[in-house]
Amino acid sequence: MPASSASSAHRPEDLISRLSSAAAEDGGKLKALRELKNQIIGNRTKKLSYIKLGAVPSVVSILSSTAAEDDASSASLLVQSAAAVGSFACGLDAGVKAVLDAGAFPHLLSLISHPNNKVVDAGARSLKMIYQSKLAPKYDFLEEKNMEFLISLLNNENENVTGLGASIISHSCETNVEQKELSDAGVLKRLISLLGGSLCERDASLESLATVFKGNPEVVSMFLGPESGRALSAVTELTKDRYPRTRLLACMCLITIRNASPCYLQDVEQKTKLMLILLELLDDPGQVGDEAAFALSSLIAEKEDLQQLAFEENVVNKLCNHLQKGPLQAKRIQGILLALADLCSKLESCRSRLLSLQVLNLVTDALTHDSADVRAAACSCMKSVSRSVKVIIQNLSAGSFMNEVIVIPLVQLLHDTSSSVQIWFYLDSNVCIPPCCSKRDIGYSMQHALHCFIDPFLQVAALGAISNIVVEFSKHKSVFIQCGGVKQLVQLSKSMESAIRLNAVWALRNLMFLSDNRCKEGIFLELTASTLTSLICDPEPSVQEQALALVRNLVDGCVDSIEYVFLEDGLILHAIGRQVQSALKAEVLVQGMYVLSNVASGNEIHKEAVMHQLFPQDGSTTEPIMIKHLQNKNSQLRTAAAWALVNLTFPSNPGASSRVAKLWNAGVTSQLKNMVNDPCLDVKLRVKTALGQFMTFGDGST
Amino acid sequence: MPVRVVENSAPSQVSGANPGHTSPPACTLLSVGQAFSGTQNVSSLQKDEAWRVNVRIQGCDLDHGYLCGTMEALNVPMADTPVAPIYSCYLVFILDAWAWVVTFWEGEIVDAKNHTFFTGKWEATSEVDIRHWTKFPSFSPLLSQVEVDGGRSLDLSSYPHIFMRWKEQYFVNVGTDCGLTIAGFYYVCFSCSDGSINGFYYDPNSSPFQKLELKSNHEGRSGFSFSSYELQ
Repeated sequence: MPASSASSAHRPEDLISRLSSAAAEDGGKLKALRELKNQIIGNRTKKLSYIKLGAVPSVVSILSSTAAEDDASSASLLVQSAAAVGSFACGLDAGVKAVLDAGAFPHLLSLISHPNNKVVDAGARSLKMIYQSKLAPKYDFLEEKNMEFLISLLNNENENVTGLGASIISHSCETNVEQKELSDAGVLKRLISLLGGSLCERDASLESLATVFKGNPEVVSMFLGPESGRALSAVTELTKDRYPRTRLLACMCLITIRNASPCYLQDVEQKTKLMLILLELLDDPGQVGDEAAFALSSLIAEKEDLQQLAFEENVVNKLCNHLQKGPLQAKRIQGILLALADLCSKLESCRSRLLSLQVLNLVTDALTHDSADVRAAACSCMKSVSRSVKVIIQNLSAGSFMNEVIVIPLVQLLHDTSSSVQIWFYLDSNVCIPPCCSKRDIGYSMQHALHCFIDPFLQVAALGAISNIVVEFSKHKSVFIQCGGVKQLVQLSKSMESAIRLNAVWALRNLMFLSDNRCKEGIFLELTASTLTSLICDPEPSVQEQALALVRNLVDGCVDSIEYVFLEDGLILHAIGRQVQSALKAEVLVQGMYVLSNVASGNEIHKEAVMHQLFPQDGSTTEPIMIKHLQNKNSQLRTAAAWALVNLTFPSNPGASSRVAKLWNAGVTSQLKNMVNDPCLDVKLRVKTALGQFMTFGDGST
Repeated sequence: MPVRVVENSAPSQVSGANPGHTSPPACTLLSVGQAFSGTQNVSSLQKDEAWRVNVRIQGCDLDHGYLCGTMEALNVPMADTPVAPIYSCYLVFILDAWAWVVTFWEGEIVDAKNHTFFTGKWEATSEVDIRHWTKFPSFSPLLSQVEVDGGRSLDLSSYPHIFMRWKEQYFVNVGTDCGLTIAGFYYVCFSCSDGSINGFYYDPNSSPFQKLELKSNHEGRSGFSFSSYELQ
């Protein structure tokens, strides 16, 4: 029946068979290609469905078999097949992967030199789509031929071809060497000239310029060189363009310049304008609005002056208003939360404003959002808000409603097994390193990389917020302990990723701060002496530092808590002693010396044990480590060492006299006498106290 | 350029119209976790009285001249009758329900960058400021310059005393409807040598110059112990 025949003609399988049929004439293929293209444009579901049915290889096959021909019908086939390929790749990584797997890339590249302009145009458009994806192959600018080809693209009269050149730069330029190479090859000059071109060229140029400038003051200074005024004004002018995307890209370009070379864009008025433009762009309901929040975040990150300016311009209120408007797309929430995180990272005024606007509950809700990116951004925001003693005591202390509401989802994030944040593999199966890990941590092993699907990025973000909140200044730290937080932290302190280990130990250290005996005991039982010892001897100095700071807090407070380091034949104390004798980093030594100093504030046995660690009776004639630390250029280390001496010679202790004699024999007294005018006041005062105590026992020589 | 001064002598002035930033010494005895114990004298014409006070430093941000902590008043006497005028920071007559009161306070460190000796708020005129600061013997070398510019041009980085204002912000263990008041603030002088703290409470509605005297608390140890935390 006619009805059924028409319906079967539209079945995807039939369409694919028409594409693949060797018998089909060019006209038939062309019709099928058009039909396919029309079906998949803007339709993610259809794209995925056709990809699954194997449509992409059929289209690429038409592309490859027709590429060498230059008659009119072939041109149409090439245009349509290139367009279909581009459509598959547009905004869909699975599409890009299918297109690349089917080998379309070299054929599309060959279209750029086709005599027919329409074919060139279609090829360029399609390649641009591919280059918008992270999966696109990296372009090697350092290869001379490649650079020549890129320049030819940028100099082409076809705006899609120049746009392709710009897209290649935006996608593939990553290192300072590549940035410099592009700049030396004259790319900057060409990109600047494109700022005066069509809308498409302007946007592509702005994006590429930002890529070439990113973190490279040298290239920025070349851009702002002799003709600086004009180029910079051209970009600045585009921040007022009628098209929102152009305004956004121009802002992002200026922000990149400012971030690479802080000496530029110092003018407060200009910075305010930039901020206001971005706030206005935030109203855009689409992608521009989403990206505006990220741009704002990049503008104010780590810059207290700009955060203050943003506060004065009511940016906190405006961002919170957006958040309260809801429901918002994940990308928008993520951007706003990150911008709020940056705003609240340093200024108490911003934190108070955020809290007064009562959006903390929305940030808390975001901790359990479907999107892992949003959850991570919420953690960052929570970390910034809780980076304040005042906020912790006033809003987040134990027993407060917010503490419970926030702590529980944060602890749950520690075992978040989401895999939606990042793709850890390139197509060629090279391991892609997660942002928080070094190559050494990953060990290049595929198995290990798979382990990373338990999202380390999110865990580190959650640990950051937890580290702050657990300080909480109450002795019981009840909520955190009751919801299994200690167990999680201890488990993560054994992670193979150093960033996770560091942050977990950091959180445990803060949790231990001013804890009562019960809380300390609970943490220690979970942690155990052997794990703590391993952490003190961790390969990463930053982990050693936090582990020693943890022990410093453990032995503080009630004098009985000093006994922890003597358990299991003094396992922990010996590890501390070894670090104090051999660590290279001053930060590690400072914490190590403070632990020993705290132990030396205990009873006779404790003091003697510290003496043994600092002055081992091993027959060695080398200079005692105490003298070296007192001579160290780091004033904090000298202070810590002086405090240890104050405690070791503390008056009214029976063994003080013999310790003073030992210290005198070891040359400590004469070293202290050399320090009475130490440039650091704190050191000078402690030395004075120590010497005063030494003198109560005579000059030590008797 | 700021010039360092010898201990016990008057600090030098910072030359130039735009004085450089000088932080007070990072004194370990004034670091987070440190505890202090002592008394606050709340004597009146009617009777001599002093309350036991414990202070703990909770936060310290020298770059912003900021310090904060908790203050615990122990054995606050149960008043049999309402007493006027109001003594110290507590309205004595309603205190019979609590044996101890904890407040959270925030401190401004006089560092010549973030804060000068002139309070400029909390109903404290420069005359009131000078009247209180001069109660501290260690302030006298600074007086002449403070009278000129509040001490803005002083280099206090090597001075063995740290001057601060502590303002109680809210009650920790009782509600806002408790009937207590924390309207005033303390002028504080901290000795970097031994960690002793002297202070004078100022509230125009309270009896003047109530003295706070605190000493570093060893908490049962034969020496000094230091804990720490670090916010991320």
